[in-house]
Amino acid sequence: MRVMLISAVAAILVATGAAFFLGQEQRFAYQAFATTGARVTPSSNLVGPRWTGDPDVPSKSGQITPPPG
Amino acid sequence: MTRLLRIALAGLALALAAPAAHAQTGRDVPPPAQTQNPNGANPTAGAVTEDQLFRELNKLQGRISIPDGKAAVLEQPQGREWRAFRESWLPWIAGVAILGMAALLAIFYFTRGRIRLEHGEQSGEKILRFNSFERFTHWMVAFCFIVLAISGLNYILGKRLLMPLIGPDAFAAWSQWAKYAHNFLAWPFTLGILFMALVWLRDNIPNRIDVQWIRQGGGFLGDGHPHAERFNAGQKIVFWTVILGGFAMFGTGLLLLFPFSAADINGMQLSQVTHATIGVLLTAAILAHIYIGTLGMEGAYDAMGSGQVDLAWARTHHDLWVEKEQAKTASGPQLRPRATPAE
Repeated sequence: MRVMLISAVAAILVATGAAFFLGQEQRFAYQAFATTGARVTPSSNLVGPRWTGDPDVPSKSGQITPPPG
Repeated sequence: MTRLLRIALAGLALALAAPAAHAQTGRDVPPPAQTQNPNGANPTAGAVTEDQLFRELNKLQGRISIPDGKAAVLEQPQGREWRAFRESWLPWIAGVAILGMAALLAIFYFTRGRIRLEHGEQSGEKILRFNSFERFTHWMVAFCFIVLAISGLNYILGKRLLMPLIGPDAFAAWSQWAKYAHNFLAWPFTLGILFMALVWLRDNIPNRIDVQWIRQGGGFLGDGHPHAERFNAGQKIVFWTVILGGFAMFGTGLLLLFPFSAADINGMQLSQVTHATIGVLLTAAILAHIYIGTLGMEGAYDAMGSGQVDLAWARTHHDLWVEKEQAKTASGPQLRPRATPAE
């Protein structure tokens, strides 16, 4: 019984490690499948962070959000 | 004026009729006679048609400038075959394989009954059958496999069987977590398969003793038990099914986990078909393994539960292995009655 429990815990630990490393490799769909020209990112194109149409206008926090890579 | 109005109405009727015809047939409607050149020749008559392209290229594709390279393929007829398999054949294969195996085991149980320990199989002396690392490996694979099988079957049968019972919201939440479990527990499963191959491969090489074991039906046919080493032919079949099936599942699963990294659309579809088919067949095979290891045979669970079995049972079912083990220790069984194997 003890070996069974240890094996279940080991499986969960390895799975958690796998989840962490796989998460590092994950990209959003808009990064994987489209170029910046096609991305709807209010901070760098289209409407801007304040929805004014000017991407250079800082947001309320005073920072211009960099475009996603 | 009336003539002009008539022509305009005819043009409007054609414009409305063409999309409807396209929707019904899925093919382009031939251009009406009015659109032909005044000299009577159809300017697109010599153009390449969709059917001709399919015949030549087997798919329609072009060039694109976005990173998603597979978007260049506009139409791929094999996708329809894959979808037909995925939505029509696969649920039936899964249902027949798993329910069929469950039915066979039920018939076997109710006709043959549980295989009981014979009187001569209980001596009170124990022998270590599987050490703690071997049991650790077995249970890690078993634990992962149960979760992988349930979450895998959810991909195939969930929306048909489970969603009508629990509703779409609960099914979506369950499926999300099942997907995480499937993707992440695949790694300890593969690690366990690798360990299994390392510790048990040497004892699972087929030989002439297995042929004899099969000829005697594993003891079910004729008198007496056939000779067997550490693993009999039936156990070797389970071992190779798990090892080969497990690595095939890992290989195809890797392609599915990293979509389009090493396979194109056809490769992805082939991977899914292979992964799902092997998965349901492996699940059916493991059902039989679970049955014989628990309900089907008295005393079989002890080998993987505590690691030790009765010496007389071992002599009956794995006589050649016991001889080798006793020759190694040269002092009889490894464990005395009520002794506990080292963890």
